[in-house]
Amino acid sequence: MNSFGRAQHNESVSNAIITHDLGKTYGDRPIVRNLDLRVPEGCVYGFLGPNGSGKSTTMKMLLSLVRPTSGEVHIMGRRMQRSTRRSILGGIGSLIEAPPAYGHLTGHENMRLVQRLLGLDQGQVQRAVRTVRLQEHLDKRVRDYSLGMKQRLGIALALAREPRILILDEPTNGLDPAGIEEMRRLLRYLAEQGITVMVSSHLLGEIDRTAQVLGILGNGRLLFQGSREQLFSRSTPDVLIDTAEPERATTLAARWSAVREGHSVRVPGVDQAATARLVSHLVQGGVPVHGVRRQEQSLEDVFMDLTGGRGL
Amino acid sequence: MNGRAVANEFTKMRRLRVAPLVLIMVVGVVALTCVTFTAPGFLDSVDDPDARPWHWLLAGLALAVPLVSPILLAVLASRQVDMEHQGHGWLLNQVSGVTPGHLCRVKFLSMGALVAGATLAQSALVVALGRAVGISVDLPLGPWLGYTTAIIVVNLVLFALHLLVAARVPNQLVGLGLGVLGVFVTLAGTGMPLWSAHLLPPWGYYAVATPVDTDAGGVVALDPPYLSVLSLGIVGALVFLGVTRMFDRQET
Repeated sequence: MNSFGRAQHNESVSNAIITHDLGKTYGDRPIVRNLDLRVPEGCVYGFLGPNGSGKSTTMKMLLSLVRPTSGEVHIMGRRMQRSTRRSILGGIGSLIEAPPAYGHLTGHENMRLVQRLLGLDQGQVQRAVRTVRLQEHLDKRVRDYSLGMKQRLGIALALAREPRILILDEPTNGLDPAGIEEMRRLLRYLAEQGITVMVSSHLLGEIDRTAQVLGILGNGRLLFQGSREQLFSRSTPDVLIDTAEPERATTLAARWSAVREGHSVRVPGVDQAATARLVSHLVQGGVPVHGVRRQEQSLEDVFMDLTGGRGL
Repeated sequence: MNGRAVANEFTKMRRLRVAPLVLIMVVGVVALTCVTFTAPGFLDSVDDPDARPWHWLLAGLALAVPLVSPILLAVLASRQVDMEHQGHGWLLNQVSGVTPGHLCRVKFLSMGALVAGATLAQSALVVALGRAVGISVDLPLGPWLGYTTAIIVVNLVLFALHLLVAARVPNQLVGLGLGVLGVFVTLAGTGMPLWSAHLLPPWGYYAVATPVDTDAGGVVALDPPYLSVLSLGIVGALVFLGVTRMFDRQET
């Protein structure tokens, strides 16, 4: 094994999904560009991006439903290609676009189809159904299911093969708040069982409390990949200064682009050293400083910052 | 994988009223053919070889099959495929290793077996009813088997065509409209010279396969160009395989 091969092997050991320079172009319109994904094993990977940013296309490329124009996909250390596709897909459960199920059949009959197709035993099917807590509804026709039940059945169909990786494209679309919370719990539970869960969403609230690793896509490019903490460290929150003389403070801090906000002054883009200099400058100028704090940021703020405020 | 996939297709047929449709196809053709029994003097000449009662029944069968089969084949194909569009079944199967073209081929195998069986049953039931009303002259086995085989081929080619249309165009009204149009083309084909019926595949081949004709109040045996029907079957199979391979390569 050469050094590149060794490096790739080492990466593969800890990453369930790796892409190298992955790209997709339709005509002359690039949808996904130079994507280098690293999805660690056994985590929930939140794949975020505004609508139309290329999330679904990327997920379809991972599942070999769409052929990449450039680059490679490696799943569990094996390169996804025509000859390996079927065996690799045997280890991946997925839910893409909409929950798949035949409406005229019951939940049980739908599960039976997948069981027969993949040669699964009854225990595997029962475990999948129990995981999504659908055992009470298996005798109902799927056309009579609520959307949440259809989503759960879709996940059960994906889980029945006992996959090492689960790829879910916007699984909370259309769910009510209770359904969304239930989905969050399910994703966390699956990750605890050692399944690598890659879940896409354009809604940050869904991902914020579930994913350990985030990938943020914008215009087909990977804008960020890493932990939540790393993401926050990429962005410097505004400094808020509470004072009895906000007008004078704003004038004194003009070179830091300070803006008055009621009884406070907002100063954007200043690091810790600059904050110290700013406060010192105000105090020397005779401004009574009552408090200095950073604006609390939500993941949404950081996301908006990265994507230029698109798509939320 | 194929055996499991075929078994799955039979499971998916539940509650789609496939069995009643196939039954209508059989009963409809047999009932229309049996109208021949009501022809003046037919029942009086069931034991007269010169009256050719079996050839009259074969003429009735050759008229009934094109009237009933095209539209029902369109409906059956639509039922098989629409559930995949509605239930995102293409994707479900694809991530389980069964590509869309493969799924179409599996559907052809499973439903095609029923179509072939129904066609065979139509022919056998007409013979049984002919015997039941007392036809005692020898059955012209060659023309009867030749026609039955030819119609199985034409029905399967037409079913394959409808399967491809239904898979390609999610709006099933298009396929059903084509089925209705097919009935008219089929009827037009029966009145055309043989060479021009060849130009309307596959519907025109119902006329091409016809083994008898009526002439001056009597019935005459024809020598149908079975080679043409065989060619239709081969070309149909190649086109079906080619198009389904193309489906396999299409991106979702």
